[in-house]
Amino acid sequence: MKLDDIARELGFTELTPEVPGARDTDIDRGYASDLLSDVLAHAPEGGLLVTLQVHLNVIAVASHAELAAVVFAGNRKPEDDVLAKAAAEGLALYSSPADTFDIAGRLYALGVKGTHA
Amino acid sequence: MNVCFADLHVHTALSPCADAAMTPPVIVGAALIEGLAMIAVCDHNSARNVAAVQEAAGDHLVVLAGMEITTAEECHVVGLFPDAAAAEAAGAEVGASLGAIDDGYETFFGEQHVLDAAGLETGRETLELATATTLDVNAAVALVHRHGGVAVAAHIDRPSFGVIGQLGFFPAEAGFDAVEVSRHVAPGTAQEAEFAVYGLPVLHSSDAHYVSDVGAARTAVTCERPGFDELVLAVRGHEGRRVGDA
Repeated sequence: MKLDDIARELGFTELTPEVPGARDTDIDRGYASDLLSDVLAHAPEGGLLVTLQVHLNVIAVASHAELAAVVFAGNRKPEDDVLAKAAAEGLALYSSPADTFDIAGRLYALGVKGTHA
Repeated sequence: MNVCFADLHVHTALSPCADAAMTPPVIVGAALIEGLAMIAVCDHNSARNVAAVQEAAGDHLVVLAGMEITTAEECHVVGLFPDAAAAEAAGAEVGASLGAIDDGYETFFGEQHVLDAAGLETGRETLELATATTLDVNAAVALVHRHGGVAVAAHIDRPSFGVIGQLGFFPAEAGFDAVEVSRHVAPGTAQEAEFAVYGLPVLHSSDAHYVSDVGAARTAVTCERPGFDELVLAVRGHEGRRVGDA
């Protein structure tokens, strides 16, 4: 499913509208974790990450793990320097008022699976 | 007894997230301009630039040997050690649980410059200093103590990488010797008092990653003279020594 369609279906707020082409990216894998070392080791390439962490290192980790998008749960939003870094890396960021469990469940219902599915 | 000012958490260009301009002479110069008597070099998961900063400082500034360990829970634990050799020995243990960097690492996390006292690069660290070790908080504190050091819970007021933000509570059983607050918590405020409830001394440190950050937060240390042994006594409140205001 296209990232743009997922974002619309689940009511995500787009934080990096300047990332070109990201919305047309097909997403079929997701990961949810707040431990960046765990994300680095296990998140699926081209996938979407749901996390509470809004630190700048999230961008470095997500870029290195070659993720396509990060959704910040619980309405968390990173600082402007984090948004700028993500835009520079071509990483799409979203925010959602829902918690991690709900976001993951709704993603699953849309066909975005985990790494062991 | 004298009061001196210390910034006990300063990164060098060895830390991938720190500015490449954070070289030994630049850090020493910035600390002297800021009127600091003592700093601690605390790079992420390594103490390889400590001796170089100490050499650059000579007799002008006390440079304590430190390291900022990233625990398995991604909490930051600052260790302050008696000397560079102790810090390097602790660093070797910490490094044993880190992986080697790969092609994309320097692009996304930054370069890890090993420097000499003049600030010239002598090599690049090839372990992933930006990642978490396999040590949990209790093990990290125990490692610091085993090497004769003082264990400080870093920037506990911050949502990211502080023990409270990561664990949801302060781990009293871990055996920390002090807590550190960031520049966002001013000395003598009600906010500072919130972090004194654990019964441990509160250090104010800059966590400097850029030259302009050095001294942006500082701890008043009342002691005979700046240095590791006197700092330990001040942390323990021994015979009139103390950290922070009365």
